[in-house]
Amino acid sequence: MKGQETARTKMCSMVKKFQKSRNEDCRDGISVLQGRKPGGSSSRCNFGRRSVPYERSGRGLLPSHFQEDGGNWMRDVREDPRVRYTPYARELNERRGKWRGSRQVLITMCRDPQSRERKMEEDTQDRRVESWFKITIPFGRKYDKAWLMNLIQSHCSVFFSPVDFHYINNRALFFVQDARIASKIKHVRNKIYDEEKRKISIFVTPSVVPYSVKNKFTPEQMEQLKFIMKKRYDGSQQALNLRKLRFDPDLMGHQIEMILNRGNCMVATLQIIESNFPELLSLNLGNNRLYQLDGLANIVEKAPQVKILNLSKNELKSICELDKVKGLKLEELWLQGNPFCSKFPDQSAYVSAIRNCFPKLLRLDGQELSPPIFINVDAPGLITPSQESYKGSETMKNLVLQFLKEYYLIYDYGDRQGLLNAYHNEACFSLAIPLNPEDLDSSNLREYFKYSRNMKKLKDPNLRRQLLKYTKRDIVDSLSMLPKTQHDCNNFVVDMWLQRKTMLCFSVNGVFKEIQGTSQGGVHAFTRTFIATPGSSSCLYIVNDQLFVRDARPDEIQSAFSVPMATPCSSSMPTLSQEHQRMVQAFSLQSGMKPEWSQKCLEDNGWNYTRAGQIFTMLQTQDKIPAEAFKQMP
Amino acid sequence: MSVDFKTHVDQECKAAEEFVNIYYETMDKRKRALIRLYLDEATLVWNGNVVTGLEALSNFFEMLPSSEFQVNMLDCQPVHEQAIQSQTTVLLVTSGTVKFDGNKHDFNQNFRLTAQATFNSTVWKITSDCFHFQD
Repeated sequence: MKGQETARTKMCSMVKKFQKSRNEDCRDGISVLQGRKPGGSSSRCNFGRRSVPYERSGRGLLPSHFQEDGGNWMRDVREDPRVRYTPYARELNERRGKWRGSRQVLITMCRDPQSRERKMEEDTQDRRVESWFKITIPFGRKYDKAWLMNLIQSHCSVFFSPVDFHYINNRALFFVQDARIASKIKHVRNKIYDEEKRKISIFVTPSVVPYSVKNKFTPEQMEQLKFIMKKRYDGSQQALNLRKLRFDPDLMGHQIEMILNRGNCMVATLQIIESNFPELLSLNLGNNRLYQLDGLANIVEKAPQVKILNLSKNELKSICELDKVKGLKLEELWLQGNPFCSKFPDQSAYVSAIRNCFPKLLRLDGQELSPPIFINVDAPGLITPSQESYKGSETMKNLVLQFLKEYYLIYDYGDRQGLLNAYHNEACFSLAIPLNPEDLDSSNLREYFKYSRNMKKLKDPNLRRQLLKYTKRDIVDSLSMLPKTQHDCNNFVVDMWLQRKTMLCFSVNGVFKEIQGTSQGGVHAFTRTFIATPGSSSCLYIVNDQLFVRDARPDEIQSAFSVPMATPCSSSMPTLSQEHQRMVQAFSLQSGMKPEWSQKCLEDNGWNYTRAGQIFTMLQTQDKIPAEAFKQMP
Repeated sequence: MSVDFKTHVDQECKAAEEFVNIYYETMDKRKRALIRLYLDEATLVWNGNVVTGLEALSNFFEMLPSSEFQVNMLDCQPVHEQAIQSQTTVLLVTSGTVKFDGNKHDFNQNFRLTAQATFNSTVWKITSDCFHFQD
């Protein structure tokens, strides 16, 4: 792509191409802005303030104004031929009635080259001011809007105000106007975490002018609207009645369509409320066919005193819509006549669901509610759905965590042969590292290379077969040959990605240290994928075990082992080192003996775990160990 | 290892390799067709977030920006019958780098693939997918 050409010259060259091939009325074959009359032989260019002209490059649609400016980070992407911008995200079609304006914007050509150039110059300036970016947070719906925006703002050195914040499916979106701000927000994406310590992803893409900005009300319209709203305002009650607003005769007389589902209408309404009725106590939005309350998302800032809200006889299909106005301290709420009201099994379920949202509510649908009982419990139904499902049920989650704790205890401090019982008879294990043979010498992962079954690099079928360990005996033997390690168990991130009656799949991500051998002290990162099947008495048998090891990044090394390992059974063994403590734990687990007895056995054998194990087994078969040495079986 | 098991594994490994190539190519070049590689009740866990069912998956992939994947590591294992009740299943683990709209990330991904036998061929489909950025 030729980097430095301006939009204008490119446009000219394209025009010339067309003119050469056609030699006809340039109206032919060129598409037209939707909703506008075809240019025909008029000499006016149909570039209005509302359109964003696009060029056709062979690689898809590229907004021409990005060739001029936009900052460095945009340029990198532009040069990459395989990246396509899709500024017309498909969600444009999703919102009923909202995005009608700008779907198919293509080039219109006009006959008069001079006026075209002049117009384009004007437009260029407009466009430079109005370069909009869309910020998408996948799965953003589960986060509270204020919390999320605060989080992003706190990491962003430049203040910005999000425009048109809304949710589509599970994601949260908003717009910002400046390329600089957009790029700052992009840099935030590596630094923000949610309460589960997971990074929150952010995608930043260039976009068309957001709907509410594009379709802003004119000052005259705002004046009209204000006048009409003042008529509907009852000063003595501080109440504003916007019921059936669309059919207000005055509004219709002035041809102002107040369809409150539309972002621009709601924005205008809230603006007028903010400037004219800041003391507003009661707001009636009934009979407005509202099916979503995204437009009311910032009602808490615009009309903070509102205590009475009437949303009756609208088309709200889900109680989750109320989440968007959760910040209001409502005392009275009217919801009857909305589709979601009939979805509750009975009246009391309905009432308690609403009360979860608005704990201080006193009256619902005209009925007094019994005084609220405050229980310190998170609102159940309205919490992030993913919390439940990816962890599976609590019992499963605990089972997995317990399993991992014991597994790694033995893996790190005990004899790995002891892991035999964790595996199914016909289990499979393999490990892989992403290294080339050439990079080997310089890497800390050398010792793992000979076991690595990275099929991307390894093509020999025999070797592939060999490196796949099958049967628990083989597996445990190979595990015993791997270098000794110490895993940072407190900082594991576990994904449980499948749960069935006979199968449980989960992945563990974390870091570990090598404590022996040539790479001693090296920290590696790993992802271990397990498929396990439940056995008797709530234990798990591993059926598949795949280990992926890579070099840890500097930030991972820094944050590793940051929390000191919890000291186990502390009081009885104050003088033991951490490592010895862990060995005692592991031995106790494997032998079934109480910790004090395990410690004695280990001490007597010079902390040689394997020997202690052999002595223990010998003594046990000779029945020389008293029963009190063993832990009570639960 | 019995001979049967060995040939079994060989076949599955080959299928896995092909599958990986198809999957990432489809994701990069024809994202909308990606959904055809998933079974109806498939589940995706993406950086800890769960997406279930074809419709949700469809919406999810639409939302993802355009990608450019490069796979550096690939490993696969057959999943034992007891766990999956006589449907040939393979665990496939991959790792590499991906560029979403020019932003590079390292990723790990694992799939469970199940063989669906048709008249004259076997089609592999994803029953579950777990994707994780390394950073």
